[in-house]
Amino acid sequence: MIEAYHLSKVYSRGVYALRELSLQVEKGEFVFLTGPSGAGKSTFLRLLLCQEPPSEGQLMVSGRSLSELRPREVQAYRRGVGFVFQDFKLIPRKDVFENVAFVMRVLGAPEAQQRRKAFQALKWVGLQHRMNAFPTELSGGEQQRVAIARALVNDPALVLADEPTGNLDPDLSLDIMNLFREINARGTTVVVATHDRELIRQVGRRALTLDQGQIVETS
Amino acid sequence: MHAIKYFLIEALVSMRRDRRAAALAVLTIAAGLFLFGVFLLIDANVERLVGRWTASAELSVYLADDIDASARATVEATLTASPLVDRYEFVSKADALARFKRDFPDLADLSDQLDDNPLPSAFEVRLRSTAGAEAGLEDLAARLGRSAGVLDVRYDRLWVSRLMTVVALLRGISLAIITIVAVAAALTVASVVRLATYARRDEIEIMQLVGSPTLYIRGPFVVEGVLQGGLGALVAVGLLWGGYSFATMRYGQMIADALGLDTLTFLPGAATTLVIVGGMLVGCVGGAVASRSAGH
Repeated sequence: MIEAYHLSKVYSRGVYALRELSLQVEKGEFVFLTGPSGAGKSTFLRLLLCQEPPSEGQLMVSGRSLSELRPREVQAYRRGVGFVFQDFKLIPRKDVFENVAFVMRVLGAPEAQQRRKAFQALKWVGLQHRMNAFPTELSGGEQQRVAIARALVNDPALVLADEPTGNLDPDLSLDIMNLFREINARGTTVVVATHDRELIRQVGRRALTLDQGQIVETS
Repeated sequence: MHAIKYFLIEALVSMRRDRRAAALAVLTIAAGLFLFGVFLLIDANVERLVGRWTASAELSVYLADDIDASARATVEATLTASPLVDRYEFVSKADALARFKRDFPDLADLSDQLDDNPLPSAFEVRLRSTAGAEAGLEDLAARLGRSAGVLDVRYDRLWVSRLMTVVALLRGISLAIITIVAVAAALTVASVVRLATYARRDEIEIMQLVGSPTLYIRGPFVVEGVLQGGLGALVAVGLLWGGYSFATMRYGQMIADALGLDTLTFLPGAATTLVIVGGMLVGCVGGAVASRSAGH
């Protein structure tokens, strides 16, 4: 599903965030990207989200080169991708239900569909009873589960997560990872960037270790 | 329809969330449009005044009391043949006296004391609006002046032409001022909407990342601009009406008399609509400009 060929990303002053990176992620696979800070994990996810273009090389998803997508095609592509951030990025002014339904709303879905899918997603992460709460009233783990519900509400084929457990304790981290495992079990391709090697060991999926923008280990 | 409803709700929520900034934008647009409306109001009444002045004879050919039919026919033929003449009307001595008594009622008794009617008969001539060639008009006036039985030819066109020039100049200045005010109002709306986009940058980021169409990202900000512009326009029209009512109540007849009008009038419906639509357009432009960065 994801194919990277000699992918490089260079920032100003010749700093390489990614250097000649080549990898493949199969459809329906669960893959970890790991490595120290500055290894290029987040940069790769940003390229996958078309937030930045690569400097060199090719990045393809489902056979399409992301560099060649026009703005409207980028929008269409992103509708098929769910994303989860370390800092949750929930909208504090909206309650839990509105945060999840927001995705459907800004894509022009009918209200009935918004309500149905948002409720389904919240029920799946076990937070349907907290629909009217605001993010500030939730624990870190609950906020991250809301973020996961938001990532799933549009039935994406690909879910990207950048340090989703970075702000959580080990028990909660494992709960969140179990959610990702369940997402993957339904056929969704999952790519998780994390530096937590213990978590990777517990989940037991393929891990690509990056260092200075290159893959140094595959396990 | 769903999209418009979404834009409207989001715009209203944003305005309610930041009432002060929205009020600032509304009042700034209102101030600009009030100024615009004042110019329109003055223009509407000046238009009536100029219309009345230009409706009177632009060229008057005064005839001697003893002009014979042949000479009169010659004058009439000259007028008929001239391409500069739109139409003309014969005003008899009696008609002239009746007009004098109507226009100057204080002097009506004086005219009754005279043995004879001193006012001459005349042809009152309306010239074509394209008759701008001063030389041609002067030539016509000169020919008529040389005709038998013609006492005098009064040519007011020059004065009206100069008046129209002054009016056109004033309108040009008004347009320049209005343009500046409109740009200032649009920039104010753009600043307020830009503040709104900054305040909602987290939502905008999420919208961009989930692949929301650009229309859904920018639409609410454009609608917010339109609402602010429309509200500002309504406030401006309200202030104009209030000011007009107060001024006409206290000074209306005095001003009308000074200008030679029966009464002053408020903005015609088309002008009021122009103010409101103009306000909404200014707001729309401001909102669109400010939201451009939000769509990327």
